[in-house]
Amino acid sequence: MFRHTPLRYAALVLLMSGAVITAFTAGYFGMEILTEILILAILVLALDLVAGFGGMVSLAHGALMGLGAYAFVALATKGGLDPWVAASAAVAITAGTGWVIGAICARSHGIYFIKATLAFGQMGYSYFFEQPFFGGDDGLVGPGRFDLGFIGIDLNDSRSFALFCLAILGLAYLAAVAILRSGLGRSLTGVMHNEKRMRALGLTVWRVKADVFGLSGAMAGIAGVLAAQHIMFISPKMLHWTVSGEALVVVILGGLGTLVGPLVGAVAFVVLKHELGHVTTYWHLFVGVVLIAVVMSRANGIFGFIEARFGPRTDRMIQTIQTRNDVKEAAKDA
Amino acid sequence: MLETRNLDKSFGAVHVTRNVSLKLERGERRVILGPNGAGKTTLFNQRVGEIAPDTGQILLAGEDVTALPVAKRARRGLSRSYQKNTLFDGLTVEENLALAASVHAGLSMTLWRDALQSAQVREIVEEVANQVNLMPYIHAKVSEISYGVRRQLEVGVALATKPLVLLMDEPTSGVGPEMAKGFHDLLAGLPRDLTLLIIEHDMDLAFAVADTITVLNYGEVVFDGLPEQARGSKLLRDIYLGAWEDA
Repeated sequence: MFRHTPLRYAALVLLMSGAVITAFTAGYFGMEILTEILILAILVLALDLVAGFGGMVSLAHGALMGLGAYAFVALATKGGLDPWVAASAAVAITAGTGWVIGAICARSHGIYFIKATLAFGQMGYSYFFEQPFFGGDDGLVGPGRFDLGFIGIDLNDSRSFALFCLAILGLAYLAAVAILRSGLGRSLTGVMHNEKRMRALGLTVWRVKADVFGLSGAMAGIAGVLAAQHIMFISPKMLHWTVSGEALVVVILGGLGTLVGPLVGAVAFVVLKHELGHVTTYWHLFVGVVLIAVVMSRANGIFGFIEARFGPRTDRMIQTIQTRNDVKEAAKDA
Repeated sequence: MLETRNLDKSFGAVHVTRNVSLKLERGERRVILGPNGAGKTTLFNQRVGEIAPDTGQILLAGEDVTALPVAKRARRGLSRSYQKNTLFDGLTVEENLALAASVHAGLSMTLWRDALQSAQVREIVEEVANQVNLMPYIHAKVSEISYGVRRQLEVGVALATKPLVLLMDEPTSGVGPEMAKGFHDLLAGLPRDLTLLIIEHDMDLAFAVADTITVLNYGEVVFDGLPEQARGSKLLRDIYLGAWEDA
């Protein structure tokens, strides 16, 4: 069952303040990297929700994000809808698509589940690649960013946009926690631990999987809408399975099934990519080496390693402080 | 309460269930005896819906449930425990029970409430934990409790769905005589209106808890009656001990 530990709170505070500090100190290029991290973080949160807590390792999440981006751009530019309405509709579309994919794939497990989601993802990729209405392989130009003029914020300023993405990421994180703590999320955890038993207890397993996959799809759609606004141009590349694969790498690198871990993973991955990208065009090679090292260490990613190493110690520390306070209070009462 | 009519099942050339008809009244406690390979568990799996019978019908509370999937039968009050522990290993005893109770409470699909915190679920968890003596281990993870305690939890999880009929597949499998005695007491303490169907190897336990006894051999019902009759039955002795005499 998902729980917030003192260590997880500490990591969240660190990440959050790191993001805010970067937003106020970084130059243009740093700001772009920050925004890239924040959008990727929303996508990997969505992926961790299904993969880390439901055992549903999806290779369709890049495509769901791309679908969200395309739906948003098409509805806003070709449909002439207000960007907010277009964004809401795009998220609803990805949620519905996610639900259907989840419902269809619910009966398969492990490698078969991965294959099935891969097939759905690639279907989406081929469609947008071929379809002239959506610009084919040329992609589409976006409608620009949300207008927050009514509260005096100009999102075309890269700092404001980074902070906006941070706020959305914060909301996405809270939503993920709320889902995991709901009856639905608890059932999902039960399904991951023992699907057969959950069914024998009377749970309609496929519905739980489909519902969570739909919610996760909505989250991926939000990442897509933000990505479309960030670079103001979208191409079918976004739906390619390698985007889903990269998201999976980030989740595993950070720590599957921890929510906080994937955020750490997103930071590590994007920073590694840019820093190594300066030095060599073979940066993927080094990310691969890091990933192999993390997997071989048998820890659950970077954050899993930190948790295994320091988690018990911080828990003990908190406990000691608590007992000390209890003793003090007892002494006061006496 | 639970009835099977002319149930028949073959796996290829192996005829595992031969025209089995059984009827359990509400509150009845029936023990199924039979040597290894007699088809006891297969019969169970057909009742709960994990295996479909070739022919025949299964009725729960008077309604035909033969075509219903496992989950739907469970929601109508048919619960089972497994011969081999089928628990949520990474979770605590409390969470194991709460997952089962939340399905019963209708909170397993909600987004707006934490099922584990609901008063109804907590009440069931406490009640069941007391019934199967799990209170001392309530916060322990499944991986931290002994095999015997896991057997108790196995039954506890099945009970936490508040079933009308509980099917227990060898609840005392693998535990010592001391624990088996504890299980007598546990079963004796369960509500009298709960219908129980228990697969058992231990004859003493069977005679101690059963209202009625069914004996299966080669997929066929060869005895159906009261424990007293079973005790003196030559047929039963032959089935269980015959192989020894032949050897």
